[in-house]
Amino acid sequence: MTGRVCRGCGGTDIELDAARGDAVCTGCGSVLEDNIIVSEVQFVENSGGGSSAVGQFVSLDGAGKTPTLGGGFHVNLGKESRAQTLQNGRRQIHHLGNQLQLNQHCLDTAFNFFKMAVSKHLTRGRKMAHVIAACLYLVCRTEGTPHMLLDLSDLLQVNVYVLGKTFLLLARELCINAPAIDPCLYIPRFAHLLEFGEKNHEVSMTALRLLQRMKRDWMHTGRRPSGLCGAGHRPRALGCCAPVPMPDSRRAPPPPPALLVAARMHDFRRTVKEVISVVKVCESTLRKRLTEFEDTPTSQLTVDEFMKIDLEEECDPPSYTAGQRKLRLKQLEQVLSKKLEEVEGEISTYQDAIENELESSRPKAKGALANLTRDGSVEDTTSSVFGEDDAEDEELEAAASHLNKDFYQEILGSGLSSSSEGAGDPDGDTRPPALESLLGPLPTAASLGISDSIRECISSQSQDPTDACGDGELDLSGIDDLEIDRYILNEAEARVKAELWMRENAEYLREQREKEARIAKEKELGIYKEHKPKKSCKRREPIQASTAGEAIEKMLEQKKISSKINYSVLRDLNSKGGGGLQEEDAQPEGRTATRKLSRRKTPARRHRADPVTGVGKRLRPMVSAQPAKKAAAGEPLPLSPSTLGAEPARPTAVLVESGPVSYHPEDDPDEDDPDEDDGEPCVSALQMMGSGDYGCDGEEDDGY
Amino acid sequence: MDADSDVALDILITNVVCVFRTRCHLNLRKIALEGANVIYKRDVGKVLMKLRKPRITATIWSSGKIICTGATSEEEAKFGARRLARSLQKLGFQVIFTDFKVVNVLAVCNMPFEIRLPEFTKNNRPHASYEPELHPAVCYRIKSLRATLQIFSTGSITVTELWK
Repeated sequence: MTGRVCRGCGGTDIELDAARGDAVCTGCGSVLEDNIIVSEVQFVENSGGGSSAVGQFVSLDGAGKTPTLGGGFHVNLGKESRAQTLQNGRRQIHHLGNQLQLNQHCLDTAFNFFKMAVSKHLTRGRKMAHVIAACLYLVCRTEGTPHMLLDLSDLLQVNVYVLGKTFLLLARELCINAPAIDPCLYIPRFAHLLEFGEKNHEVSMTALRLLQRMKRDWMHTGRRPSGLCGAGHRPRALGCCAPVPMPDSRRAPPPPPALLVAARMHDFRRTVKEVISVVKVCESTLRKRLTEFEDTPTSQLTVDEFMKIDLEEECDPPSYTAGQRKLRLKQLEQVLSKKLEEVEGEISTYQDAIENELESSRPKAKGALANLTRDGSVEDTTSSVFGEDDAEDEELEAAASHLNKDFYQEILGSGLSSSSEGAGDPDGDTRPPALESLLGPLPTAASLGISDSIRECISSQSQDPTDACGDGELDLSGIDDLEIDRYILNEAEARVKAELWMRENAEYLREQREKEARIAKEKELGIYKEHKPKKSCKRREPIQASTAGEAIEKMLEQKKISSKINYSVLRDLNSKGGGGLQEEDAQPEGRTATRKLSRRKTPARRHRADPVTGVGKRLRPMVSAQPAKKAAAGEPLPLSPSTLGAEPARPTAVLVESGPVSYHPEDDPDEDDPDEDDGEPCVSALQMMGSGDYGCDGEEDDGY
Repeated sequence: MDADSDVALDILITNVVCVFRTRCHLNLRKIALEGANVIYKRDVGKVLMKLRKPRITATIWSSGKIICTGATSEEEAKFGARRLARSLQKLGFQVIFTDFKVVNVLAVCNMPFEIRLPEFTKNNRPHASYEPELHPAVCYRIKSLRATLQIFSTGSITVTELWK
């Protein structure tokens, strides 16, 4: 069809036969092409007589199965990393999903979630198993299947909170709103497990009614659904007339208590242990729910009444009632403390009077003590002790009294603030700052003024950074040096402390010493291997370069390749073979994507000098040095001659990119040392181009 | 159900966390030996120092970075941090007090009414997330203020720093 010229006669009349796939010259009859690739549909006859089209389905994403050249390679070798990940993920999803008895539709949806997660790079840095479990649970939530996160964590033997974290992250990143789980969903499942036989349905219905009652009674918010279910099923000891105590598990979904009671109502005996093993809540939770339900008015109904009547009023949540009780207690306490205050005030006046009398008769006390003794009622008991103590303990006692003061103040509540302030003043400079800090956090009436205070906060935040920096000088205002001095031990104390610490951490120190001894011994024997902490693979950014030459330069700057490379020659190479280099990029990329470990050495400069002979030389060292790699090397070799053939005009350019190393005749001694590069014996051209996705140092040693 | 204007809503700050740097290397062993209120964790490589006045606990690394927790207000945190730096100075290190930054503030607040968490989550979809199987509170994130609120059904709310 195109204007091709026949090689034999030079005629332009060429006939294409699509059926045979030939291109024949009508002048001389020479066959120009054989086995032309055609885009026709062929049909084949089936055994039944019908005909079907010939062909294979190829998946949209990822490469299809590579044709096995030379036969017998491992299947995964031909796939790229993304396809492998997806295939692996699919396998694991199906494995887990079958254990959970999820249907095919759910599994497919889960796989779609997984594909989305992979494309958003959410699988990086996370265990594949966690991500898979999160995908599956997401599907369970959206479909409304009665599977709990606990089930998944049971299967995987992973902490449920870890799974929950991954699940939450996944739901957030994929912008999927998982609908809240309704405890009613679990009832049929648990009922089935508890084996009620024929009455299964009835028990479930009863449990459902119980659950709904619990919901109205505010018992289910903030509780795990499975707990409520269990209580519902487990019936406590009750006759027909006795009230039905309905357990309510807030945290766990309400099912278990509901199931417990329902079962009992229908005269089934199910012990707590059985229910717990089915529902996976703790016994104490179950009991709690039961007692909570007992408090609700519904529990007063008999069985028959419950089935017929539905009480109108709603209860407050149990935690709310508990909170109310606490509030009442607090109020009582406050009243009591106020009364205490009054009594205290009286006593303190008497004590002051006595003190004054005593002071006038007693000799003058020491400085620090005097300050303290002038304080309020609290100090009096301790001050009498002071006079007798030694000077050394004086400071410690003072500190203790300080502490006591704080302690007492806290006990008597904030109402004492006024009296403590008065007592604190004579103390001197140390007290005011501490008092301010004590009084600071007291709650301010902020009901309506909240918006104002918020505005203030936000505006003040913007001002803070300006005065926070400073020039690094320590502002000593308000810092009491004396107290800080107390924090520093003297020599004797330091020794004692060191002794104590040594005794505490004896084991750790012993381990350290043993480790050092072991290392020393190994060093002597020469076996010592230094275990360097594994450096994490740095993700290198893909090099942005307009020409291949630029790319090589940039790559060389980034990567520290062998010192034996003559970089100047390399740069010259770029300038000359710039166009040719670009073309060859596509080829090696296509092939090296499969990570074939043909040895491609960086001394590309050597190619230039003697390309043709280099090829011949190259084959020899390749074969002799690595007979094991012949199979792998065999592949690129036939290809490179073909590329040579394809571009006879530019042999230099071809060999630079696609061919394996050709040794320069002068550099023969280097042949004997394949591993001349430090830890980088194999650098594919792709890596030279610096495609960062594959750039992990550790991977380069794969084949070795 | 809404808050009455007469009822005072008090929000209490319970914890303030801050960091600062001393631009010098600190010899942890020396601090451990001579400080009266320190815990030396050699395996992790840090020293815990507790002060009494502003009741704070400071974690000291040998690089000179110090994290200070337990203060009840921002001023107190700064005060405590300065005290700490002063005590380190007394021990003999050339301490320079730089890069002081409040990293996290924890506050607690109580609503006088109970809250229905599932409906609340439904109405506040993007911000709120509720997972009853994992945690009994709704996690409400405000990105503009960089805050995370944990809302319990009893009406008590914990406000803390936003972390991903």
